[in-house]
Amino acid sequence: MDLGVLMTYLIFGFPLMLTPIVIGVGYIKKNYSMYLGVIAIFFSFLFTVYIFYNYTVKGIIIQNNFNWFQGSGIYVPLGVIADNLSIIMSLMVSFVGFLIILFSVGYMAEDPRRHIFFGEMVLFTASMLGLVLSSSILMLFIFWELVGLCSYLLIGFWYYKPNAAAAAKKAFIVTRVGDVFFIAGIGAAFYYSGGQLLISGLNAIPYTWERTIVSLLLFGGAIGKSAQFPLHVWIPDAMEGPTTVSALIHAATMVTAGVYLVARTYSIFTPESLSVVLFIGVFTIILSGLLGLVVNDIKRILAYSTISQIGYMVSALGLGLGSASIALSIYQLESHAFFKALLFLSAGSILHALLNVRDVNKMGGLWKKMPVTITSMFIGALALSGFPLTAGYFSKDSIVTASYNVNLWAWVFLTIGALLTSLYTFRLFFKIALGKPRSYAAEHAHESGIIMLIPIVILAFFSLIFGVFQGGFYSFLGYHPESFSVLDLAPVTLMLIGMGISYWLYGRESDIPDKIARAMGFLYKFVKNKFYLDVIYTNVIAERAVLGLSAVSDATERRVIDGFVNTWGEIVRNAGSSLRKLQTGIARQYVIMIISGLILMLLFIRILMILGVLH
Amino acid sequence: MFSLQYLLLILTIFLLISIFARKSARIMTLLSGIITIVFVMLNNPTYTSFNYGSFSILYMSFRLVFIASVIIILLGIVEIFVSVRFNARSGFYAFTQFLGIALVLLFTTNDFLLFYIAWEMVLIPTFFMIGLWGGANKDYAAMKFFIYTHVGSVFMLLAIFTMYFQEGATNFSMYYLIGNLNSIPLVYQAFVLLGFALAFLIKLPSVPLHTWLPDAYVEAPYEGTVVISSLLSKMGAFGLLFIFVNLYQASHYSGSTLVPWILVILGIISLLYSALVALYQKDMKRMMSYASIGHMSFITIATGGFLILGTGLYATLLYYGAVFQIISHGLIISLIFSTVGSVEKSTGTRNIVSMGGLARKIPFLSFILLASFLASVAIPGFSGFVGEISVLIGSYAFLKMYFVFIMIGIVLTASYHIYTLQRTIFGPYNEYLGNIKENRNEILASLILLIPIIILGIYPSLILHFFNISQIGMGVFK
Repeated sequence: MDLGVLMTYLIFGFPLMLTPIVIGVGYIKKNYSMYLGVIAIFFSFLFTVYIFYNYTVKGIIIQNNFNWFQGSGIYVPLGVIADNLSIIMSLMVSFVGFLIILFSVGYMAEDPRRHIFFGEMVLFTASMLGLVLSSSILMLFIFWELVGLCSYLLIGFWYYKPNAAAAAKKAFIVTRVGDVFFIAGIGAAFYYSGGQLLISGLNAIPYTWERTIVSLLLFGGAIGKSAQFPLHVWIPDAMEGPTTVSALIHAATMVTAGVYLVARTYSIFTPESLSVVLFIGVFTIILSGLLGLVVNDIKRILAYSTISQIGYMVSALGLGLGSASIALSIYQLESHAFFKALLFLSAGSILHALLNVRDVNKMGGLWKKMPVTITSMFIGALALSGFPLTAGYFSKDSIVTASYNVNLWAWVFLTIGALLTSLYTFRLFFKIALGKPRSYAAEHAHESGIIMLIPIVILAFFSLIFGVFQGGFYSFLGYHPESFSVLDLAPVTLMLIGMGISYWLYGRESDIPDKIARAMGFLYKFVKNKFYLDVIYTNVIAERAVLGLSAVSDATERRVIDGFVNTWGEIVRNAGSSLRKLQTGIARQYVIMIISGLILMLLFIRILMILGVLH
Repeated sequence: MFSLQYLLLILTIFLLISIFARKSARIMTLLSGIITIVFVMLNNPTYTSFNYGSFSILYMSFRLVFIASVIIILLGIVEIFVSVRFNARSGFYAFTQFLGIALVLLFTTNDFLLFYIAWEMVLIPTFFMIGLWGGANKDYAAMKFFIYTHVGSVFMLLAIFTMYFQEGATNFSMYYLIGNLNSIPLVYQAFVLLGFALAFLIKLPSVPLHTWLPDAYVEAPYEGTVVISSLLSKMGAFGLLFIFVNLYQASHYSGSTLVPWILVILGIISLLYSALVALYQKDMKRMMSYASIGHMSFITIATGGFLILGTGLYATLLYYGAVFQIISHGLIISLIFSTVGSVEKSTGTRNIVSMGGLARKIPFLSFILLASFLASVAIPGFSGFVGEISVLIGSYAFLKMYFVFIMIGIVLTASYHIYTLQRTIFGPYNEYLGNIKENRNEILASLILLIPIIILGIYPSLILHFFNISQIGMGVFK
């Protein structure tokens, strides 16, 4: 096998094979599994760098497929492809994954089950790497499911917390709803393309409604994993897991999988399905932006910001600009990975210092206590809201600008999204950093250890300078825009206004937010209750409809179907027990019966003869 | 050459030894399992035939087709597993071996009368397994199981006799009886198909003919549940995929899609209904017996789809998927029931709501339970995934928009598994359980099943590659 091909398999194969060893070593000495986990992902990064070098310098696109059902006569391919899209994703996943897992060494240092944690983290990152390198849609789905499984295990890592166990269950089932759309999409693609499972083979699907069907079904899967409306409800609850898990889920793995899937299969998306994609993306941005304004849990605010930033990626894809859409979306994905990993890791650092107090109302004044963490977080917040010259500015404003020529409504909402983003981001930041400490824990906060600060500082650095790579990044993905200078000023202006409003409302002691909340009344309650979507899903669909149906089925099972079976049994048994009484053992009764039976039989024959049946 | 008569002879000797030297029964079961696997491995089973001429009206010819060899390997693994994992009475092991002989006969014979005899032989050990060592309600369950499945068998016997007398055959050769099926009047053909379908659907089982199953599985002792759940439902699956498919394609109705659609609809109803009922159960063992119905429904769907599509890529994929589902369901359901047994042994209950947080006290057992449940949900990496995804991908070709029902079924299946995991091994520890312990040996024995499950999940062509499957059951009897 060619060295490049082997390396490509090893990118995900190496950590995958190391997973059991990482866990097993933990039973000898727990710290070994931490180091081994870090090494595993670091090697993935090195392999990816090699492939990247191969691609850029020698221009080799590695592709290798093998038949999973070998010997059956059916071609069910699995395999890898290392083209520009998968290499750039793999670089980001392994690099950010490595930084997060390095941070975990400090963050989880005292957890008694940390060997299992690191094993699952390695498996999680490996599955995501396998996902982005897949050349076949079936292999993509296999790793897609493994990513979902790992997120289930990791969200529920602190399983003894009832909330964590419930959140893990919710994450699994909600993403499973998306997954079944993906399965249907694979089935449809396999059928309409005449038996193709390779992603490159999907183009065999005829240019008609079949493409719309297949692409929408695949997008249904993407909605589940990427937490877009209406399947975004699992993400906020998923915050019950360790913070590094949230960082991994939100930045490098899991939620970006859906965006990657759409980008990967972009060629089969028809204008009709793209308009659905655009609508979902834009709608999600506004919805989650509003939600981010009313929650008080530091991690949940970040969770809603993830949903809305992914909305930008999905909208960029929905614009339907071909390779430009992919470049815009993936660039936003990667810069988001940097600043969201940064924000989550700094949140983790804060929670580590504050003994897991997650309510932002109980923080405040932390800038003085934890200067490095909070300064990095400030950079992250700037990047998230798209402050000029940070990573978020280049990635997000390019999408807003590009939307102007495609769909004016989309442009309007994407711009409003920029205002919402900066409002909730700086609400979060000012509440944490400025003012006076509002709890005992916040008063006694202290800076985290060096092993946790290194990844934070590296990520902060990248969040600041990632914009430098914009041109190169776009051309790497085959997008060559005429100029970058014509960025319109509307999102930046709105972003600065939002920042100012946030400072005015939350950066100082003020009761205006409460007054606004009271004045809005019903509307506030509506948003605060997450638009009652959770109520609909949990109380109406799950508890009323499904559980009700299930109770009915159970009753049917016991009463009707089994009742029918048992009734037959009863009939036979009762017949037996009543006929048994004829057997008395008294000879005279038997003689009477014989004689009466004979008479009855002769009568019967006589009747038949009269009727003419017998002669 | 290790031919069939030697296998049957050795198995019978083992059975006699375990009857007369009772202490050796367990080791004899282990040896039977090994020798059965060796037999299949040595007769690299394309379509190995063993012909012994005719014996009166019996047509003494046997063959090993792909699907039969897969099931017989499963039989060997299950025999090894029950002998290692459980320390049951010697009578149980003797019955298991008896069951094994009956199943080898059933899956290899080319004679409908022998097929019927083997089909009925299976009832005897199962009846005693449930009736002798079962739970509180064992008499009811054993009697119900016996009579229920016997009703199906009677229809099958009538169907066989119909073929025999109507075709004017001299023996009960499957070749002759199936090959000449189309020569008899249509009403009789319909009756033959109905009789076989009824017998197979009861054994599989498919809703609404399934109610013997929860009682039998729940009331049987755990070792009995493992054997019954993993092997008995395979008789129905084998019947549908091998006998029924050939009968249907040989009959006058082979072009019509009405009967296949009925099978598909029954399969979808089974999937949805079993998931809904399982969601409402509090008894873990009962819940998992409904999960078993859900798994087997994929085989009904695949059979129906196979008959609708006839030939071609999608039909072949469905067939492989169904065969794979047979072996993976056998392995997974055995693992699930044995693990539930271990959990009940340590906690003293199998009521889901009275457990909680087991991962804290019995981490390794919880891991096995987690793995078996995930395998049952068909997570990639476990063998359940391969079978299910093949059937699912293949079934889009004929279901199209009705695929949505299967989608609902999958979500419901996942939800009751995940719900159970949340309430049993996750969550805060239920202190009322006291200080519970896990048995290290039982966990090690579970690896006998878990390792094949994972290997087959990662490398499914192990089965496809090892066995030459140029003939997968279609048109064998033409």
